[in-house]
Amino acid sequence: MFPPRSRRPLRRQISCRTRREIRRVSKDSKLRRSAIGTVILSIALLSVWRATAQAPASSTPAASVSADKSSIPRLPDGHPDLQGLWHNDSGYQAMMKNMRSGKGLAVALADFHADGFPLPLPYLPEADRVREYRKLHDAYHDPEGHCHVPGVPRETEQPSSLMPFEIIQDEKYVVILYEYVHDVRIIPQDGSSHPKRYWAWDGDSRGHWEGDTFVVDVSNFNGRSWLDMEGNFVDENEHVVERYTLTSRDAIDYTALVEDPTVFTRPWTIHLTLTRNPAKDQIVYYDCHEGERDVQHYTQSEGNKANKHE
Amino acid sequence: MSKRGYFTPAIVALVLASGGVAALGRNADSFSPPTLSDGTPDFRGIWQARTSAYLNIEGDPGGAKSVVVDPPDGKIPYRPDALKQRDKNFQNRASADPAKNCFQAGVPRTVFLPKPFQIVQSVGHLAIVYTEDHAYRIVLPSSIPHDDGIDFFMGDSRSRWEGNTLVVDVTDLGDQTWLDAAGNYHSDQLHVVERYTMLGPDTMRYEATMDDPTVYARPWTVRLLLYRDKTPGARIEEDECIDGEDGVWHHVPPTDPRALRRHDFKAELAAAAKSQ
Repeated sequence: MFPPRSRRPLRRQISCRTRREIRRVSKDSKLRRSAIGTVILSIALLSVWRATAQAPASSTPAASVSADKSSIPRLPDGHPDLQGLWHNDSGYQAMMKNMRSGKGLAVALADFHADGFPLPLPYLPEADRVREYRKLHDAYHDPEGHCHVPGVPRETEQPSSLMPFEIIQDEKYVVILYEYVHDVRIIPQDGSSHPKRYWAWDGDSRGHWEGDTFVVDVSNFNGRSWLDMEGNFVDENEHVVERYTLTSRDAIDYTALVEDPTVFTRPWTIHLTLTRNPAKDQIVYYDCHEGERDVQHYTQSEGNKANKHE
Repeated sequence: MSKRGYFTPAIVALVLASGGVAALGRNADSFSPPTLSDGTPDFRGIWQARTSAYLNIEGDPGGAKSVVVDPPDGKIPYRPDALKQRDKNFQNRASADPAKNCFQAGVPRTVFLPKPFQIVQSVGHLAIVYTEDHAYRIVLPSSIPHDDGIDFFMGDSRSRWEGNTLVVDVTDLGDQTWLDAAGNYHSDQLHVVERYTMLGPDTMRYEATMDDPTVYARPWTVRLLLYRDKTPGARIEEDECIDGEDGVWHHVPPTDPRALRRHDFKAELAAAAKSQ
């Protein structure tokens, strides 16, 4: 029924995205070359920085995470201070592993999950057939290929090593500003509950503290998100519980419990280490959709035509 | 749908404009805003303009007042050639307005759209999160120099405090954003200096001076009011456009049932089998 795997349009899709990413920072070819150079240089510098930094252990089970309470920064309200610029270190490690094994940069950035991602996911039979179809024939419709926000937990789990996120926190909110497609989550911590009629790519996030762990309950998804470029997906019944625990000044232990009773047989958990970026780093705005010069071909109707030509 | 959504606030804006203008004078700075623990003025909250400036900064013959306060005639001081380009933009606005593609609106246009934005602040941190296209600006202190040679749709913002006024210096804006829906525009040489001053617990004066020697004969300034959204449970809703079957991108708010796509695996697999 399905053509062989080699016909999937994954590589083309990546190249589109890479071009767009480069366009966002430069207008002429001279600058474009320097943009590519910057990416490569960033990887090199990050490697050097990584090699000289303390590598936090990432195999600790979530339940037993305990911070050294004296060493972590705190806000006046007593809660751990999560503020700063962070990236997914587990994803970075996986990317470097792929790079070392000789895969190109685009594939290394796209075609993997961090070790903390429990593949294969426990699909219900029909949902698994949908996943297989999307992976082999419908990669065009990965929402990220259209610059849509990735959803939760993809935004945190995907290779964000070169695309960090900034946390700003006060006594009312934890705000996460992701470099990737200027996605942003404003998470209230006022004990309020999810709204009734609200369906979003990022769902609706409500946070509270359990000891020193910031726990975010995410619901109200719109059923459009994929989990990666390989067809893994969730539907509108997705529910996520994220846990952010500062284990040292420069490391957050992150877990995401994902459940979706119409897609999976059981809940499953992602476990990652988020690492603080060097102090000089800052978000570089990611204008994704805006940089696309062929917007009309990124619509559903054109996409469906493109799929038929595969 | 977005047209209808924009129209109602325009009417509200016209009604409210008469009451707001009196508070706009520059000598009403006696209000002392609340402060963060380090004494920095606390501008946190959800804010929104109530003006029709998003339709046309210069106002319109129907009675909407120009928000341009300098020059005093309320007109943007275009260079002659640039004025021709503005008129061309106006003629083609239905298709040429970058906002039609759900592109981030840029500075200052994003500030006076009829959609709220949230000022996020803590000691040492400041960001502004806009509803429109989930654009955000991380406003770094002016001690950190601007990025050079890279353009962003929302520019590159650096801030300092002058008394209780937040002054934001914005550079690195591109030439692909407009100032309103009427074709008023700028080049990538645009330099914006914004001034945010709280006039009362729930009102803020917004001023922006635009300098762009390739398009304008001299710098010019807009001034308008921002109002705090005091609705209980007020929030910045996600605003992610959906690419429609008609080849156009649409704002579909998350409260619109069309935002929700219920799974139908049987139908998806049946359609898949048919297309093979």
